[in-house]
Amino acid sequence: MSRRHARTAALLGATILVLAACQPTASESPDDGSAPPSGSGATGGTVRLGIGGAATALNPGNGELAEDYVLYELIYDTPIEVAPTGEFVPELATDWVVSDDGLTWTLTLVEGATFHDGTPLTSEDVKFSLELYRDTPDYIYLPSYPDVFVDIQAPDPTTIVITTSDPVGNFESRMVFMYILPKHIWEAVEDPVAFENEEMIGSGAFKLAEFSQGEFVRLEANDDYWDTPPLVDEVVIQTFTNADARIAALTNGDVDAITEFPATAISTLQNTENIEVQISDVAAGGSIRDVFFNVIDPADCPADGICSGHEALRDVTVRQALATATDKQQIIDVATLGTASPGLGLVPVGLGDFFLGLDADYPYDVDAANQMLDDAGYEDTDGDGVRECLGSQDCDDLTFRFNYPNDIDTGAREAELLDAMWGEIGVNLDIIALEPDALTAVCCPAFDYDVILWGWGSDPDPQFLMSVTTCAEVETGTSETGYCNPEYDEIYNASSIETDSEARIQMIHELQQIVLDEMLYLIPYYAQNTEAFRTDTFTGWYQGSATFGLDSAISLVSVHPVE
Amino acid sequence: MVTIFVVITFNFFLFRVLPGDPAKAGVHDPRMSPETEAALRERFGLDKPVFLNFEEGESLFDSQYFIYLGQLAQGDLGVSYQYRSTPVSELLTVALGNTLWLVLPAQVIGVMMGVGLGLAAAWRRKSAIDYGAVAVALLLWSLPTFFLGLILLLFGAGALGLPTGGRATVGAEFDSAWEAFADLVAHLILPTLTLALVIFGEYVVIMRSSVLDVFSEDYILTAKAKGLTTWRIIREHALRNAMLPLVTLIALDFGFVVAGAIQTEVVFSWPGLGLLTVTAVGQKDYPVLQGTFLLIAVVVVAANLLADLAYGFLDPRVSEAQHA
Repeated sequence: MSRRHARTAALLGATILVLAACQPTASESPDDGSAPPSGSGATGGTVRLGIGGAATALNPGNGELAEDYVLYELIYDTPIEVAPTGEFVPELATDWVVSDDGLTWTLTLVEGATFHDGTPLTSEDVKFSLELYRDTPDYIYLPSYPDVFVDIQAPDPTTIVITTSDPVGNFESRMVFMYILPKHIWEAVEDPVAFENEEMIGSGAFKLAEFSQGEFVRLEANDDYWDTPPLVDEVVIQTFTNADARIAALTNGDVDAITEFPATAISTLQNTENIEVQISDVAAGGSIRDVFFNVIDPADCPADGICSGHEALRDVTVRQALATATDKQQIIDVATLGTASPGLGLVPVGLGDFFLGLDADYPYDVDAANQMLDDAGYEDTDGDGVRECLGSQDCDDLTFRFNYPNDIDTGAREAELLDAMWGEIGVNLDIIALEPDALTAVCCPAFDYDVILWGWGSDPDPQFLMSVTTCAEVETGTSETGYCNPEYDEIYNASSIETDSEARIQMIHELQQIVLDEMLYLIPYYAQNTEAFRTDTFTGWYQGSATFGLDSAISLVSVHPVE
Repeated sequence: MVTIFVVITFNFFLFRVLPGDPAKAGVHDPRMSPETEAALRERFGLDKPVFLNFEEGESLFDSQYFIYLGQLAQGDLGVSYQYRSTPVSELLTVALGNTLWLVLPAQVIGVMMGVGLGLAAAWRRKSAIDYGAVAVALLLWSLPTFFLGLILLLFGAGALGLPTGGRATVGAEFDSAWEAFADLVAHLILPTLTLALVIFGEYVVIMRSSVLDVFSEDYILTAKAKGLTTWRIIREHALRNAMLPLVTLIALDFGFVVAGAIQTEVVFSWPGLGLLTVTAVGQKDYPVLQGTFLLIAVVVVAANLLADLAYGFLDPRVSEAQHA
């Protein structure tokens, strides 16, 4: 799920990482990372997780929050899933092939998969589910994945044939959120949006035992799972709205692991007996901090737009100077206490080959940044420490409005740091925090701002995040910067139908390079996940990748009691 | 009734004046397609005008406000936006039940302790008890609830090992009903204590000043002159009169405590009305907000009514005045 990192939970004092909800299920759990020690006979027990938010929708179509998707990944199977390495690997589909014209995909399903009520899972269920997601526009996110599937056929119980309107370059990533529902239950449902799905019959490693809205979810192991069944008997995921309560619950043993806590608690937890803190080494699917600039020319303003952006920011030299004057490491050290890795563009480092590489970034150099502005003619003529605009521009000096959402914990600190850094090159900021909805209102497609600090979550596929700088999205509000460049659009369109992965990666790199050269997005960092667990109760937690937290299926299938 | 109608109308428009869009709230994702947005608007009736419908060929009253009033008249509070399919009445019933679990014991403990100590402080005016009670009461009363909650949480979880959130140990199997009850009490201790301590401070201060007022009355002097024991003076002469302002306060408080447990509920993850309200605000869940505010308004109005009736019982002058 890609979405701006703005959440209800922040109101409750907890900022929840919007994880790309793409945890894999059991198929490769014993092989990767921390596999349970073989020969260890300890199984059973109830493992308890403390989280800050709470799932709100048991019906996958209605899922909005990261917490919802954690639940779906545990209870349902998808045809294809993402491995910790970022590769797409089989789940319900054992293999998939595309026809020579790139329009027809044939998937073979695993044999022996059954739903929690004992009914076999067949290609009819897959066809039904894909069509349901495609044809229910009231569903929040899921319709956008199968929207190009014009025809879905189930010629025999283990074969699915999908025809697309155009070749699709990201077929696999369109499959990783396609939770397969039991047709025999869902076909009787009149309104698939109002359907609460309280039984939550799926085919995954865990079965829903009890759900209390806003409080907890209790899951039972599916001992008849077609793949490797879990080692524990039960999993309880409990909501602790207050971060201190969550931490206290871990230290006094009420829960065995917590999946989020403020960076300020890391050292305390590290010094607590029987508790291990896990900070993912590389920020993968998690959250992307971004700072973006309003570059739209009022002449190209969309119908509903205001387009009040500062004219100097439409000068690429100014934007590049700001990037050159930004000390990303300082932001990471001060604002996140070191729990982030340096950023580059909207495609995060965790997306593997799609990532352009940090070498492409502007090196931090205040003198060079000052020189750039001097050369371009921005001078501080009145000696107030702020450079004046050029004579040809309709502005006084380089004083920019700077907005950030008030639900980002570290927002104020980051804004102050940027103000200090940019002050070194004669740029002044008027910093105003806004409520996320109010920020959306000034952002886009109104373009009534100068600079905004915000965030994104990432999909396992970069296509969507590349679309936010296309011309077509200026009017829809998806474009945050108002940038429009036909050359960019041409490469973007080609990449969306390119089925050769090497060629597509090359195109995605070109797109990132353009955005970087134009300095539309300044990315200070990719946040790393902080989690903690007790070492004296359960062991075998999956560690080693930020995309797959302690609450991921891969982790909960392999976790087992300490002997 | 007029009050409640005004509250209904005010609440309806209050939330709609806020910036933002419920069809998009919580989903700050431009990926949501225009079709999805339109479908959600239609589902929640947000495609209609807010107050009066001036569309040609449409009824003037085919608007969000009048549809809401119509549903309300039939006891239908609507369906939550954030939970998509759950009726608001169901959410409210569960949350109110949870809140009462927390608030009733807290209110009883807080009032009893507060009244007792306030009385003692007034009786032993200018003694160590008095100064101590007033100091402690003012401190507790002025501490922000969430801060007090956090202090208790850190102490209770660290030193006593008490649970820090939720209503019970999820999925635990208990050998006896007694164990299940003990588990429930353990979960209740910290949030109840937090809420009780805040209430307690208020009652000490008010009870003390109320009793002091009464003590300066002539009839107390008379009672003393008659040679009555201290306890009889308090019980038969002072307490009943001093209780009058307290009854008002208890009734008023009850309404606000139902709503005012918000901070306590957030700190201790207690799934009551307060937590429901906080979540709903973030999600722009208008039906749930309208529901909680309406419920709170009804409780406050009803509590006031009860206070008035209790007045008549405690103070014969009031009921006589009504009959006169």
